[in-house]
Amino acid sequence: MTLIDRPTSAVPPPAPARQNRRSGEQGRAAAWFMAPNLLLIVVFLLVPLGLAFWIATQRYESLGDPVNIGMSNFVGLTTDPVFWESLRNTVVFTVATVPTGMALGLGIAILLNSVMPARAFFRSVIFLPLVISGVSVGMLGAWIFDQYDGFVNNVLAAFGVSGPSWQSNPGWAMTAVVLVTLWIRVGFDMIIYLAGLQAIDPQLYEAAQLDGAGAWKRFTAITWPMLRSSTFFLVVMNLIYSFQVFDTVFAMTSGGPNNATTMIVTYAYKVGFDEHGPGQLGYAAAVGVVIFAITMVFTLVLWRRNSAAED
Amino acid sequence: MTLSRRHFLSGSLGSAVLLGAAAACGSGDTGVGGGGGAATTGAAGSAAAPSAAVGGKVGGGPVTGNISFAFWGGSVAEQTGFEYAKKIFETENPGATVELKTSPYDGFYSGVDRSIQAGDAPDVFRVDYTTFGRYASRNVLLDLNPYYDQSEIDAFIPSFWQAISYNGGAYGVPHQTDTSAIIYDVAALEKAGVSSVPTTLETAWTWDEFADVMGKLRSSLPDNQFPFAYNWTQAGAYRWLSFLYQAGGSLLTPDLAAAAIPSDAGTKALDFTKSFFTEKWVPDTNTIQGTRYSDDFFLKQTTVMSSIGDFSIPAVADPAQGFKGEWGATFLPRDAGAASDLGGNAIAVYNKTEQADTAAAFAKLMGREDVMKYFCAQSMELPTLSSLAAGGIDFVYVPELMSVFTQQATTVSQSVVDATVTPAFNDINTTLQAQLETAFKGGDTASALEQMAAGVNSALGA
Repeated sequence: MTLIDRPTSAVPPPAPARQNRRSGEQGRAAAWFMAPNLLLIVVFLLVPLGLAFWIATQRYESLGDPVNIGMSNFVGLTTDPVFWESLRNTVVFTVATVPTGMALGLGIAILLNSVMPARAFFRSVIFLPLVISGVSVGMLGAWIFDQYDGFVNNVLAAFGVSGPSWQSNPGWAMTAVVLVTLWIRVGFDMIIYLAGLQAIDPQLYEAAQLDGAGAWKRFTAITWPMLRSSTFFLVVMNLIYSFQVFDTVFAMTSGGPNNATTMIVTYAYKVGFDEHGPGQLGYAAAVGVVIFAITMVFTLVLWRRNSAAED
Repeated sequence: MTLSRRHFLSGSLGSAVLLGAAAACGSGDTGVGGGGGAATTGAAGSAAAPSAAVGGKVGGGPVTGNISFAFWGGSVAEQTGFEYAKKIFETENPGATVELKTSPYDGFYSGVDRSIQAGDAPDVFRVDYTTFGRYASRNVLLDLNPYYDQSEIDAFIPSFWQAISYNGGAYGVPHQTDTSAIIYDVAALEKAGVSSVPTTLETAWTWDEFADVMGKLRSSLPDNQFPFAYNWTQAGAYRWLSFLYQAGGSLLTPDLAAAAIPSDAGTKALDFTKSFFTEKWVPDTNTIQGTRYSDDFFLKQTTVMSSIGDFSIPAVADPAQGFKGEWGATFLPRDAGAASDLGGNAIAVYNKTEQADTAAAFAKLMGREDVMKYFCAQSMELPTLSSLAAGGIDFVYVPELMSVFTQQATTVSQSVVDATVTPAFNDINTTLQAQLETAFKGGDTASALEQMAAGVNSALGA
């Protein structure tokens, strides 16, 4: 008897008619359970997404009827210097915030995962900025980094140091925005990594220690590989967050000086919704479609790479 | 001041805005026609059709119905003025109620636009003159001509009635105006050796004298304190145009069809204002894309002089949160001439409101002499009725300083008014914001002026 000929189970399979009836009932029940979510996804995700694509093909001002102009908005973007500058700023901001925030979050998570006093207190303190509204944090940041009357420069002045031009110098303005963003995001990175660390079996570390592995070796051979899914999740979430940053930047610098901190979403807002802006909703939607396309490509590439690594 | 306000307003500058009306007539208290449900559509607001006849709906008894009035929450003083108008209206029209809907300035027009698109706009809403043309040209406002007879129209300073007029229709009530002047820290100027400050418009500092004062202040102040801040931040970019007009230039050609910025006056104005930054007369952050406004710089004593709108006076004069010390007001500098910006707001009625007569009556009440007088006194803003412009408002805060702003308002020329209320002004202001920011950060003057002109022409469709 070959393996193929051998019966796979001693239990006879259920009668086909009964099986079909049961799976049909399960399917209907599943559909009912999924219906509310599907409805929400269609109404609040897919329909607005489709509308955004449609609006991007219109000359659609804040008052008046839309006029179909095909791909003109997208063609306009290719020759719009502020759009390219905002795209460049967004990439710089993303590169500056995502790896740094994750590294800091991981370091703090490892520290707070160890035996140390008042762990819960420190975890709360670090996580707290995340639950404050972005606009409030931005306004706080504007005050902290005010170059004439701000907290940071006042402290530096007390030590006889002349503080940098946080608001009027393009490089320092971007630095201030990055620092405030890190302050917000590190708590999120920490909490995800902390959850990942607590899921690692301590016996792995004991075994490695018995085999003579040092702290760095234990980190590179156990901790980092075991945190792969946390890292993947954080990279995707942080990339999306950084690429779509708006509230903090808008409240803190309003995109200045001279567009040095204008991000792609703040630019979309400016052309679409700013009180005394051009009110070009179609053009703003085109910017939004570009943001969607970029984040989608990033996410798919990361997804494929992660899947390949797991296989 | 050596000149009385009445003498000044009636005796100077033929082109001045506040000189427009010879007669200070108009009680403005004529009732608005009753009867329900008329005049919600038709020719109202049409950019192409001629407007309805003037005065067709004047007269009649009290109105009834519930209406909403949307405005941005500028200050407690303005809120007080609007609540007073609501109280008067509801008292005089027992069957009518007004719901006051306050929202922050940021997002106000977006909200109005969305509600118009949805057909659910507030019955009455506030619109500033720089934005007014956009609404008037899009067929969304009710023509108020039928609610006014000629004598009532004549009661307004002509420039302001013109500001709400479009293609023969009157799409709002000119509610108030404001303009900019300079406030200063008395002690700081004395310390810098600035012994006198202009007290009449004729003796306002010339650009050279202004530069001299700036230089003295710069020398006497520490590095982290500055002589001046100008109120051109964000949407206030258009206030830069005051320098252009002072230099003898103009934003638009006389037919309002194209940009007139690239000129010797344009170059002079931009170079002069760029020097504010290179000479360290203003903080580096007093640019268009800054997040701090000129009154805030003054209140925090980052600057010892600031150009502000008169509506900011209540905040500066506030005993608890205001400026700590003695402060005064003087005029914007002048070059080839004096000039200032047209600020202020109109009250507009949505043309698809179901309560057109009631909404129109409320808007009209806001322009009535007693109601306007109370509002302006509270909010430190200037009236649009000739009778009140000639005097008689008891301003609540530092009334002696308001005469500076009142005189400064006479330098708002007709061409400034014409340019400000053009439907494309929003887009023009956007262009100014972008190019001025670049220029103030070291950009080339000629290139900035050319870019401004290109943006303005594009906005005008020229």
